[in-house]
Amino acid sequence: MDIMLIAELVLNGVFVGLMYALVSLGIVLIYKTSGLVNLAQGALAMTGAYITWVIGAYFGVPIWLSIPAAVVLMFFGGVLIERSALRRMIGQPVIMAIMLTLGIEIALRGLLPGVFGAAVKKLDIGVSPAPLFLGDILINQSIMIGGVVSLALILASLAFFNSRYGIVMRAVADDQTASWSVGIRVEKAIAVAWGLAAVSATGAGILWGATQGVDWSLSLLLIKALAIAILGGLDSIPGVILAGLIVGVAESLATGLIDPVVKASTRDIVASVIILATLLFKPHGLFGHEHIERV
Amino acid sequence: MFYRRAGIRHTRYQEERQLFPLTFDRVLILFVLAILLSAPFWIDRLYLVGYMVPWLIWSGAALGLNLLMGGAGQIHLGYGAVIGIGAYTSVHLVRFGVPLEIAMISGGLMSAAIGSIFGAAALRVKGIYLAMATLAMQYIVDFFTQTKIISGGTLATLQVPPVSFLGISLKSDLATYYFVFGVTFLIALYMLNIRRTSFGRALAAVREKDYAAQILGVSTYRYKLLAFWVSSFIGGVIGSVLAVAYLRAISPDQFHLELSVQLLAMVIVGGLGSVLGPFLGAALILFAPIVLNNTLGWAASAVGTEIPIDLRAHLPLLAYGLLIVVFLLYEPLGLAKIYDNFRKYLLVWPFRHAQK
Amino acid sequence: MKMDRRSFLAGTAATLTVPGMTGKVYAQEKIVRFSFPQDFTKIYTFVTSEYSQGQRDYITLVNERGGIGGYKIVADVSDHANDLPRAIEAYERGKREGMVLIDPLSTPVARALVPRALEDKINLITAFSGRSDAADGTVFPYVLPLSINYWTQAALIIENFSKMEKGDLKGKKIVFVHIDTPFGKEPLPILEVLAKRLGFTLIPFPYTPPGNDQSAIWPQVRRAQPDFVIFWGAGVGQTVALTEAFRNGLKMDRVSSSVWLSESDMDVVGRANAKGVMKVEPCVGGREPKVIKDILSDVVGKGKGAGPEGKVGTAYYNYGVQMASLMVEGVRMAVQKAPNGPVTGPWLNEGLTSIKDFTAEGMLPPTTVTKADHQGGGMGRIAQWDGNKFVPITNWYTAFQDVVWDEIRKYAEEFKKTGK
Repeated sequence: MDIMLIAELVLNGVFVGLMYALVSLGIVLIYKTSGLVNLAQGALAMTGAYITWVIGAYFGVPIWLSIPAAVVLMFFGGVLIERSALRRMIGQPVIMAIMLTLGIEIALRGLLPGVFGAAVKKLDIGVSPAPLFLGDILINQSIMIGGVVSLALILASLAFFNSRYGIVMRAVADDQTASWSVGIRVEKAIAVAWGLAAVSATGAGILWGATQGVDWSLSLLLIKALAIAILGGLDSIPGVILAGLIVGVAESLATGLIDPVVKASTRDIVASVIILATLLFKPHGLFGHEHIERV
Repeated sequence: MFYRRAGIRHTRYQEERQLFPLTFDRVLILFVLAILLSAPFWIDRLYLVGYMVPWLIWSGAALGLNLLMGGAGQIHLGYGAVIGIGAYTSVHLVRFGVPLEIAMISGGLMSAAIGSIFGAAALRVKGIYLAMATLAMQYIVDFFTQTKIISGGTLATLQVPPVSFLGISLKSDLATYYFVFGVTFLIALYMLNIRRTSFGRALAAVREKDYAAQILGVSTYRYKLLAFWVSSFIGGVIGSVLAVAYLRAISPDQFHLELSVQLLAMVIVGGLGSVLGPFLGAALILFAPIVLNNTLGWAASAVGTEIPIDLRAHLPLLAYGLLIVVFLLYEPLGLAKIYDNFRKYLLVWPFRHAQK
Repeated sequence: MKMDRRSFLAGTAATLTVPGMTGKVYAQEKIVRFSFPQDFTKIYTFVTSEYSQGQRDYITLVNERGGIGGYKIVADVSDHANDLPRAIEAYERGKREGMVLIDPLSTPVARALVPRALEDKINLITAFSGRSDAADGTVFPYVLPLSINYWTQAALIIENFSKMEKGDLKGKKIVFVHIDTPFGKEPLPILEVLAKRLGFTLIPFPYTPPGNDQSAIWPQVRRAQPDFVIFWGAGVGQTVALTEAFRNGLKMDRVSSSVWLSESDMDVVGRANAKGVMKVEPCVGGREPKVIKDILSDVVGKGKGAGPEGKVGTAYYNYGVQMASLMVEGVRMAVQKAPNGPVTGPWLNEGLTSIKDFTAEGMLPPTTVTKADHQGGGMGRIAQWDGNKFVPITNWYTAFQDVVWDEIRKYAEEFKKTGK
């Protein structure tokens, strides 16, 4: 096998994996603080991309302005979802709250394409589609920038957890009741986590929207993001980065090395098998915390 | 008043162990059964074939999944694949000329075998992580059903030949309906009774806390696997029913993740662990989009074509999502719990304060 | 215990009888009822709203002009979201309301409806979807693609490549990038046979659905240094494929796809970037054809259009008009044969299978549907994107129908053996 091809596939896989990891980041943020898995994360990414596009297309705002506008809007959108729906599910079985997020997912998928049109939209963030070669290796500018931005955002959220409010959120993640008793407003921390999750979803939505166009299929990012979040260990941000890299590179190599042999697309099952195997050895993902269970 | 109950007056153990101790419940059940049994004779064909048959099949599938999720507390995100295995196994067998009765059982066994292999992951992995392990099953099974040998060539459609069950041809709507009804009835009966068996009680112990169950002497290893085995067997049988009685031509995309998520939603929205729940959940998840679509479509055409087509097409989806949200906010334990609340209210009506 | 179920059903029944009233406006007139349950919200969103708009505008045009021989055409449009229970419900509802034709525009749905349509003798239109072998009318009397199936499309593309190489594809390398679903794999047998016959090398590359990430595929395509590339997908997979092809520096005028490529895809890829890409055209695009002009003046101009005016004349809109015009032509022929009906599936089937050299005033290739050939002759043409619109680069032609029909008969034969 051509070594340059492998290098190129690995490079692509790294970037794409990071872009997936950005979608997973939101899932991890919400899981860390409130212990539930947000199945609306993909739909939030779609919403963020739609809103960015709408601000640009309807109001003629340039892209550098519509992105921050969308980010701010989505932050409050995330807070609103938590405030209006999920807060009322506190104390109820977690699985029901997860189901609720699936309901939100379906509703968002109806709302945005319904109001703003289902046809694919172009979201131009100014990345040139022209080929860029580095020797014999092609650098895909769109996913390279996507990967770099994703990494930056994930690292920023890591840094955020070391800030003052970040420490508050870590306390909430650690033990909600204990945080309550020392005067932390747990609901507010969870609401902020939802806001941040919506922001990371917007980032991911914009980056993916710029590579594939904006339509409802952005919400399909959920499945891959969920897989990466679980492989990384659901409550670990560094885990998301590593898991994203593993899944991205594995999928890319599977496409390049296995597909031509078996004449079918093996990406999903190679990733699935890796995750399954990892879980059998580390049942809480790569970096997930093991909860001590008491009888 | 309706239930005519005042105090507990069991004089024999059998009475205490009855499925439905109250006469009113028994009469109600018989009444509903009578309605369902006589349905083909007074329900329009549209509702029989378009609503009743899929409702019964999906309810049966949701019951099977509910045994695993509500009964044993194990999440399964690959139940669509389990159903697919059953469907493909039995359709291939039927095409080879094997009688449907045997093909159905074989479909169930094949699903149970493969489902249990993946279920074995549950021995190590728990909760949401198990969801991922079963999602892997979905993808792996999808991959194999798409290969030419299984899917049936380039067109990937397997036609179901005319079949008969216990000597009765399943060609007419009537026979199909009763066939589906019978299978789902048996599954529901099994689910109702399972709680009264040691198996059911062991599952409940595993669901509540598997460590505790282990300490009490319930083998979690054994019962988790058994739960996967039984639930997958039901999935496989329902898969073959789905193929021969409803789809009549199967292709791999019918058993993808979407079906799994749909069933998951039915079980959860209906109510985990309840037998009534899957029936209500299946009705809501299957028919809410259709009813909303028809009603809103009609409303939209009454208003005129002023509404853009995209909005008109997506409004039902929006309403459907909101419906799930509102139901869960109103009663987080699912539709079966809403019914239960209603029943409890009537139980003591008009002396509401007696409830406490 | 199950009272909720009962009241639910009663409620459902009550709600459901309401929509049935839509058609009763025409109750006193003679009507022909078409049913168009299509996928507006799931996999086929990229095409459905434009396609449906075209269909409805054309039918409005026909009705505005007094219908066909005294018959008005009623089209019930609904959304089945590519979900089988919903589609089957729509089918059964349509059947109860007396539809004689159904166009689900979805491969999985069409496949599930085939046995039902054959049994109930309702004309199932499977344009650009469904089973390719349905072209064989002797086995599938009530399933009518009425348009070039995927096998023919693949053959047309290869024939065009061969013309570009002055009739010699020997030793050439053709890469086939396709979505890894039954739909994507469908052309493979035809391409394999043609590879053997014409002596070119075929390299298939499958990608995982839905195809939003193909970054690992196209570097391999580039390294294979192909002479031609065929990409085969739908919706998001198509735009991503094109973008990646451009990024990898492939020659865009050597890249071709099926009928699933439209102006809005080109907007996403970048109009200038995609210059040179070829696609199969089943009918004339743009606003030039007389039918489209008529729609613009008589339907859209009078405020009776079914959607935004800007979409009129786009590729998928015209597909919709094409299919609606064929259906209406079927009604016209049926009325000619038996003016007094009764309006049933077989009545319309007689009409649809006697469409002869129909071009919808220059919009379609000459289409002849017979009892044996439901494909309509298998004519299409290749159009090339010039940066602004698709420009036809060939005349209507057909190619390798012997290979295509071998395959059609093979699968139809198998269906006959096990199906009925």
